[in-house]
Amino acid sequence: MTDLNEYFILKHFVFAFLAAMSFGVLFQSPKKILIQGGLIGAVGWVTFIILTKGLTYPSYIANFWATVLVQLLCEVSARIFKQPATVFNVPAIIPLVPGLGMYQGMRYIINNDYAYGSNIWITTGLDACSIALGIMLVGGVFRALRLRKMFLPR
Amino acid sequence: MTKSLNALFTKDILRGYEMTTELNNIPGKQTARISERPARTHMSRGQVMKVSLIMGKILLKSGAETSRVEDTMMRFCRNHGYEDINVFCTPTVIMLGDEEHGGPGLLCRIRSRAIDLGLIMYMTDLSYNNLRWNMTYDEVMDWIHHRVDRARPYGKWTLCLATGLGSACFSVLLGGNYHDFLAAFINGFIATVVIKQLAGIRPSAFWENCLGGFIIGAVAMLACQVDKYCTASNIIVGALMPFVPGLPFTNGLRDYIAGDLLSGNSRIAEAVLLSLAVAIGIAIALRLWVWWGIPV
Repeated sequence: MTDLNEYFILKHFVFAFLAAMSFGVLFQSPKKILIQGGLIGAVGWVTFIILTKGLTYPSYIANFWATVLVQLLCEVSARIFKQPATVFNVPAIIPLVPGLGMYQGMRYIINNDYAYGSNIWITTGLDACSIALGIMLVGGVFRALRLRKMFLPR
Repeated sequence: MTKSLNALFTKDILRGYEMTTELNNIPGKQTARISERPARTHMSRGQVMKVSLIMGKILLKSGAETSRVEDTMMRFCRNHGYEDINVFCTPTVIMLGDEEHGGPGLLCRIRSRAIDLGLIMYMTDLSYNNLRWNMTYDEVMDWIHHRVDRARPYGKWTLCLATGLGSACFSVLLGGNYHDFLAAFINGFIATVVIKQLAGIRPSAFWENCLGGFIIGAVAMLACQVDKYCTASNIIVGALMPFVPGLPFTNGLRDYIAGDLLSGNSRIAEAVLLSLAVAIGIAIALRLWVWWGIPV
């Protein structure tokens, strides 16, 4: 639909990688896992962009699938690098997390536009719900399959 | 390394570190317990509870979610053979006790939280491996002390630069051009520097976000005056990204789904409050700009 070509996707990949990595620094993530967190975040953001702009999915469905992919990569790399999955998850989820919607809804409500503000807030709530659902779903599956045992021997 | 902040952090967490001998006299330790297993470790019941509480305190101060804190503390106690210890945790308080009459109960109040993934990593490591490492109480406390001392590997200026880079990248991701990139970099950098400089007087999170929003709005309007290719909304949207509470909101919903209703309530309330603070700050900045009659 829009200008969704290779250049656009590459640009978004690079900038999402840099953004997720610098937020990893902001969250005091250890140096050996900065790159992995940034890459996972970039993959999640590019998935989100392709699903919303290319396939015109609603935002919460795109958020759900992007989060499922991100959390899968996080759990796999948690097993590979022998660290808890949260350490990869927190910087990687940052590009998807709907913080901007919270602010914009509040801004419209402050400016007396209650209808549009609550509209944005409901969208934000749906997005956050689908992100939380994706994280809990994949994490629960990995926990139920007792793949945690791979974490123990080092 | 930010010496003063680090010292504050360390002192706050390890306040009871010198209590080693005192802990052996916790009432109820000498009485026989039905559920007590033969000891697998060198640690007494009071020492296990103390180490578990300090682990939970570090995790909660580092921004871990509630279910992770409770799981880690319970796992530590169970690994040492004390199955009847219970934990209750919300974002502001940790309670630890057992089901005996007159048994020990520990409580800890958490006032400030800042995300620190390195400490979360170390504490999870400790809770999984403590039995294989087979450490005594003093060794465990030394280990924790060492890790907390070396926490926060990035200095203040690295943090400010990283915040600027993150803001700039987000302003491009959300539709800005490269003029917006530069302006958002400067904007995020200035806002973080000011907030870090004011961290000594310990403002609450509400006022911090309000001030951050005000600075972001003012610098964005100034950048639009200087460079005509900039768009104010793109710069603001990018530079706000470190301040908007997207992560607390999502973590609150995760707490709801995991069943920790009290933590979910408080985290979502915190997210709404912080977004209100940011919006108020930006609204004041933009309103003042118009009020002073400078053309946008």
